[in-house]
Amino acid sequence: MADRDLTQLLTHLKSTPTAPYAETAALLSRAKLLLLQLNALTPSATTPPHHLALARDTYEQGALASIRAKNPDAFTRYVAQLRPFYELLQDDTTEEGERNKVTGLYLLLLLTQGLYGEFHSELEALSSSSTTGVVDVEGDRYLGYPVRLERWLMEGSYDRVWKAMKKGEVPCEEFGVFSEILTSQIRSEIASSSERAYPSLPLSSTKSLLFLESEGAVVEFARSRGWAVKDGHIYFPSAQETGEEEQEQEMSQMVIENTLGYARQLETIV
Amino acid sequence: MPGKTPDKEPVENGGYRGGKDIDMTDKDLKPKGKKASKKEGDDEMTVVVPPSKAAKQSSVPPPNDAEGDVAMDDADKTAEGEVKVDPVVQTINDIKSNFALLDRAVALFDARFSLRALRSISSIRKRLTPDILAQAISETYTSSSASASVARQMLQAIGRSDVSLGRQPGPEMEIDSEPKPAGKNGAKKEAKDVIPEVDVFLGILTQVILHDSKLLQQGLEFSHYLVDRIRSVNRRTLDSLSAKVYFYYSLFAEQSCPQPPSPQSPIVSIRPTLLAALRTAVLRKDVDTQATVIVLLLRNYLLTSHIAQADLLVSHTQFPENAANNQVARFLYYLGRTRAIQLRYTEAHEHLTAATRKAPSSACALGFSQTATKLLLVVELLMGDIPDRATFRQPSMEAALHPYFLLVQAVRVGNLGDFETIIAEHADTFRRDGTYTLILRLRQNVIKTGIRMMSLSYSRISLRDICIRLHLGSEESAEYIVAKAIRDGVIEATLDRERGFMKSKEVGDVYATREPGEAFHDRIRACLALHDESVKAMRFPMNQHRLELKNAQEAREREREMAKEIQEGDLDEDDLGGEFEGM
Repeated sequence: MADRDLTQLLTHLKSTPTAPYAETAALLSRAKLLLLQLNALTPSATTPPHHLALARDTYEQGALASIRAKNPDAFTRYVAQLRPFYELLQDDTTEEGERNKVTGLYLLLLLTQGLYGEFHSELEALSSSSTTGVVDVEGDRYLGYPVRLERWLMEGSYDRVWKAMKKGEVPCEEFGVFSEILTSQIRSEIASSSERAYPSLPLSSTKSLLFLESEGAVVEFARSRGWAVKDGHIYFPSAQETGEEEQEQEMSQMVIENTLGYARQLETIV
Repeated sequence: MPGKTPDKEPVENGGYRGGKDIDMTDKDLKPKGKKASKKEGDDEMTVVVPPSKAAKQSSVPPPNDAEGDVAMDDADKTAEGEVKVDPVVQTINDIKSNFALLDRAVALFDARFSLRALRSISSIRKRLTPDILAQAISETYTSSSASASVARQMLQAIGRSDVSLGRQPGPEMEIDSEPKPAGKNGAKKEAKDVIPEVDVFLGILTQVILHDSKLLQQGLEFSHYLVDRIRSVNRRTLDSLSAKVYFYYSLFAEQSCPQPPSPQSPIVSIRPTLLAALRTAVLRKDVDTQATVIVLLLRNYLLTSHIAQADLLVSHTQFPENAANNQVARFLYYLGRTRAIQLRYTEAHEHLTAATRKAPSSACALGFSQTATKLLLVVELLMGDIPDRATFRQPSMEAALHPYFLLVQAVRVGNLGDFETIIAEHADTFRRDGTYTLILRLRQNVIKTGIRMMSLSYSRISLRDICIRLHLGSEESAEYIVAKAIRDGVIEATLDRERGFMKSKEVGDVYATREPGEAFHDRIRACLALHDESVKAMRFPMNQHRLELKNAQEAREREREMAKEIQEGDLDEDDLGGEFEGM
C-alpha cells in the first residue's frame, strides 16, 4: 500500500522538476513518512533491496530539489543520508539511479565552498571504487565536470572554466546553479593575480580579462577593489613599499630571538 | 626475532633483496613488521632477563643481526643435527616451553615473558603442522579441564576434531634429550588447570596455521570465537597476546572474499568489534592492544577509502606514546596518507618522513619502506620540492621506485608532455600504489616549474611562445596561468597585456634575503631536537646516579677547596698548571 503510494509520488516528483520548492518539499515530507511506514528511512541489513531503491530515489529527488532551491545545507544533508544507500546498493548494477549526478553536484558544491580537502577525499573514494570497474571518474558526464573544473582552477586556466560554465557546456541545469558563485570566485582570483602581475591595464582589455559585460562594470569593479582608474588605464596600488620597514624590523626581531634561543639551548647542553 | 614469513618462498625472499617491487599487502608487511618489533624486544630482553631454563633449548636463539633469516635456518639445522630429536617432538617441546614463560608472566605479572613467548611463534611457525598442534593441544588439556571447550574449538578449526584430549605424552617423549621437564610438565598438568594465556597462545598458533594454509573462512570464524573468548576474560597479562589475536582477526577479514574496496567485504563488519576492543583497551590502559587496534582501524578505513572516518578516528583517539616502534611507524604512515589526500601536505610530509625513518632498516620490512617512500616522494613533489637523487639510488629501492624517478624528472624539467606520457604508461603501477589521484594533482606543479624555467632563461618572452612550449591550450590560458604563478610567488615577473609578453625581473641576491637565515635556523632546530631526543632515549643502569651524585659532590667539594685556596692566595702557579693537566 505505502509501497505503491510512494512509487506514485516519486514518478510525480520526477516528472515535475520545475515545481516550486514549497510544493516539492511538501511532497517530499509525505514521501519520507511513507518510507517510515516501510521501515526504510534508515537502511539496515534486513531492508529489502526494493525498498532501499525507493528510499534512495526519494533522497535523490530531495537533493536535486534543494539544489534547484539553492539550499546547500539541505543538499548536504540529503547527500549524507544517501551515502549508506549507495554503499548497500552497489552490487546490483541494474539500476544506477542518479548517483553520479548527485555526487557530481556535491563535488561542485565543495569546490565552490573552497573545501578542497573534502573534495579530494570524496574523489579518492570514487576513484578507489573505479578500480572495480564501477565508475570511470573522468569519462563520466557528471563526475568529470567538477574534476576538470578543479584542475583548471588549480593551474589557473580561468578562461577554460569560464567557457565550461557557458550554456550548453554544463551537463545539466542543476549544475548551472553554481555558475554564478564560480564566476565571482574566479573573478576575484583573477583580480588578485592581476594586482601582482601587471603594472597597469587598459580598461578595454580588462573587460575581457575579468569576463565583465561593459566598461562601466569594470570601473565599478575596480572601485570595489580599490584600484585607481586614470586615462583609460587601471593602476594597481603596489603593496610592497608599505611593508618594507616593518619587514626589516620583523626580521631583526626574528634573528635576535633565534640567537637567544640557541644560547639557551647551548647552556643546557654544556 | 626476525625470520622470513613462511608463506614466502626463499627465492622470493632473495628477490626483494634485489630491489624487486613489493606490494605492501598485509601478508608481506604486517607479520614482518611484527617480527621486527619483537626483535627490538629481544635486544631489550637479553639485557634484563637471564635466559630461562625451560626456554633455552633452541626455542629462542636470539640472532639480533639483520641476517636473521639465514641465522635462523642455521640454528634450526644445528638443533636438529646435534640433538638428534624428531622434529615433531622438538616442535611440541618448543610450544610447551612457552607455557612456562606464560606461567611466569602471570605469576610475576611481567609482560616481558609473554612477549618472549610471542616472539618464538615465528620460529615455531615454520615447523608447525595441524598434526603437531593437535598433539600439543591434546597433551595440554585434559578432557575435564575448564577450558576443554576452547581446546575442542581449536581442534575443530584445524580439522583434527577426532583427536581426544588428555593424551599422555607418547613414548617418543622418552628419547627426548631432556626427559625431566617433560615429565614435570605432565605431573603439573594434573595438579592445576590450564591458564587462559595458554589458551590464547595456542589460539594464536591455530590462527597462524589457518592463515598459512589459506583457510580464510575457517580462520575468520575461529578468530570470531577467539576474540569473544578474549573479551570475556579480564586479565592484564593477556594484553600483548590479545593484540596479536586482533591483528590476525583483521588479516583474515581483509583477505576473505569479497576483498576491499568492496563495501560488502568482511572488514566493514568487523569494525564494531575493533572499535569495542579499542574502547576496552583504552579503559584498561592496554597499550599494546590500543596501538594495534588503532592501526588496524585506520588501515580498515583507508582500504575502503573512508577518509573522513579515518580522519575522525585520528582526531578522537590518542595514539599511545609508548607503543611499539613498528606500530608507531604504521600509524604515521596511515596518518600521512590521510593528510596527503586532504591536501595537508606539510603535515603529511612530516608524518611520512617520520614513518620512513622509524621503519625497520633490515630487509624484513622492505615492503613498508618502499610504500612509505613512494608516498613521501609524491608528497614532496606536491609541496614543490624535488626529492633527493640519492633516494633512488638505494639498491633495495631502485627498481621499485623507477616509475617515480621518471615522474620526478618530468616534474623537475617542467615538461607537460613527458609528464602525461609517464602517467599514462605507469597508470597501473600508480593505481596499485594508491598514489594515482595524488599524482594527477601534480599537473599544476609541472606547469609552474615550466614557467619558472622560462622566466629564468628569458628576460622577456611572448605569451604565445610560453603557450607553445608548455603545450597550453591558448594564449589566454597562458596569460592567466602566468598571472597566477606571479601571484603565488613562483616567479618574479610582470606581464604586459598590450604587447603580450612576460618580462622577468632581475633576480636579486638570495643572500640578501632572509632565506639563508631560515634554512640555517631549520637545521639548527633539527639538530637540537635530535640532541634532545637522544638525551631522552638514554638508559642508565639502576642506582648509578647515586654514585655520580657522590662523585659530583666530591668534585664540588674539591672545587670549593680550590676556590678557597685561590682566595687565600696560597695556591701557586705550578699547582694550578698541574691541576689543569690532570683534568
